[in-house]
Amino acid sequence: MYKIMMFSGGVYKFNELKELVQDIGGFILQEMVMQTETMLHLAFPAEEEPVIKGKVKEVGGKLVDLPLAGAEIMLVAPSLGRHHAVDPMCDIAEFLRRKGAITNMMGLARGVGKRIAQIKVEEKKIIEECDAAVFIFGNFKECIEEKAKLCEGLEVPYIIVGGPPEMDIPHYVGGIGRRTERMKRKHEIEKLEQMAEGLRVELDVRRQEIEEDPLATSPLFVKELIDMTIPPKLGEEFSTIIHLDGLRVKLEPGEEDKVRQIEIGKRKLLDICEMKKSLYEGYLLKILPEAVTGSVF
Amino acid sequence: MEVRVEGGDEFANASYSKICQNVFRDIGLHSNVDDVYMYCNPAEHVFIISVKVGRVPSPVTVNDMTIRGDKRLKVTNERYVPKLLALLWDKFGERVKQLSRLEISVDLSTEEMQELMKMVVYDPREDLNTRILDAVDRILPEGARVRYPIPAQSQGQGRLTIIASENPITDEWKRKAEEMVSKLKKELKLNEGGA
Repeated sequence: MYKIMMFSGGVYKFNELKELVQDIGGFILQEMVMQTETMLHLAFPAEEEPVIKGKVKEVGGKLVDLPLAGAEIMLVAPSLGRHHAVDPMCDIAEFLRRKGAITNMMGLARGVGKRIAQIKVEEKKIIEECDAAVFIFGNFKECIEEKAKLCEGLEVPYIIVGGPPEMDIPHYVGGIGRRTERMKRKHEIEKLEQMAEGLRVELDVRRQEIEEDPLATSPLFVKELIDMTIPPKLGEEFSTIIHLDGLRVKLEPGEEDKVRQIEIGKRKLLDICEMKKSLYEGYLLKILPEAVTGSVF
Repeated sequence: MEVRVEGGDEFANASYSKICQNVFRDIGLHSNVDDVYMYCNPAEHVFIISVKVGRVPSPVTVNDMTIRGDKRLKVTNERYVPKLLALLWDKFGERVKQLSRLEISVDLSTEEMQELMKMVVYDPREDLNTRILDAVDRILPEGARVRYPIPAQSQGQGRLTIIASENPITDEWKRKAEEMVSKLKKELKLNEGGA
């Protein structure tokens, strides 16, 4: 089981930290060097945490836990109009990114109103491509109750956020409703923390399920191999996004076969993965459990 | 600007009151609107918003936003420069040149110059209604797309009232809205009398 953490600090002995992570079988997921400041998203085996902490102490930096790392989260608003964006949509997205998640935003085609609010089958499928979803549903209790029905039957964990502090519907976090200013006050940040915590709990259940029925190989390892075979294009960010049980890969036409033929241990990627075109972006790779594929090494 | 929101639960009223304040401030109408009354009925999905227009600033003339020099105009308020230049070029053509960000050369006679200084560059009354409607549109919930404006004769001058819903608007709601408006007018008169 890999643990994903964020290192931020100076450039002093920064390469040594990167080498250490790779030596203990970890991965560098994101790297950003801004003059003398560095930021790294590190993934390493959970049992090696003291070693990494020791090294970080030596080089002088901060190591922060990323509870939502390794998950792609879809933010769903009734529409992409200015009633919902910039606030609170972007506040929520920013906060989730700070917690390590990759976020997407989506406005429903016919999500506005109370009686007329709908969700299309295609939209549900797009949401289900991600690991979790956050629904943003206004300030009126009556409307939220009605709209909560739209989320029923979703196969991924989700959270509903809305204005009223408390409501009797499942997966609900209050205090994040329709607003026209940025969420920057202490009590607002606490609400966002609550929402992130709710998502973490939901995602941990899924992580636990995966641990009980382990995948043929880790998505982190597959990402490393894909990035080696098809290097990210210049200026392109997140060409490969990690999911809990797979990946989203953005590919040029004709590159699909190269990915399918990547060798992992004794097997090829096409033997241990289900690959399908995403309705949203790129291709989705779903890694099969080891119980189905057998050992890859 | 006074804002009053009624009809919803305590939380909804407070949050919509804040939304009203912020939207009118963002659009720059905060000081041009006397009061805003909003009635929310989320159960039936009917929203009524009534805006009382207050004092509107007087038109901005060339004299208000520039300092006159020798065949030159020095801009003191950059906000209206695009409108001023459009006006000058339209009227005097090539005799007007923008020398720098805040300097305009005008090759005009003294009489023309005097006439120019009195010209209106921007009249806030021109687009007042559009701006108020924009604000109302931003405040009302997005799903409430069926709109019915209360006719001017039943609410008097200087007030704009709109009923919005996702369902067809019934006569009952139209009547209720008119009652609300007349009640608001009475309250206003009482307040003015008291003052």
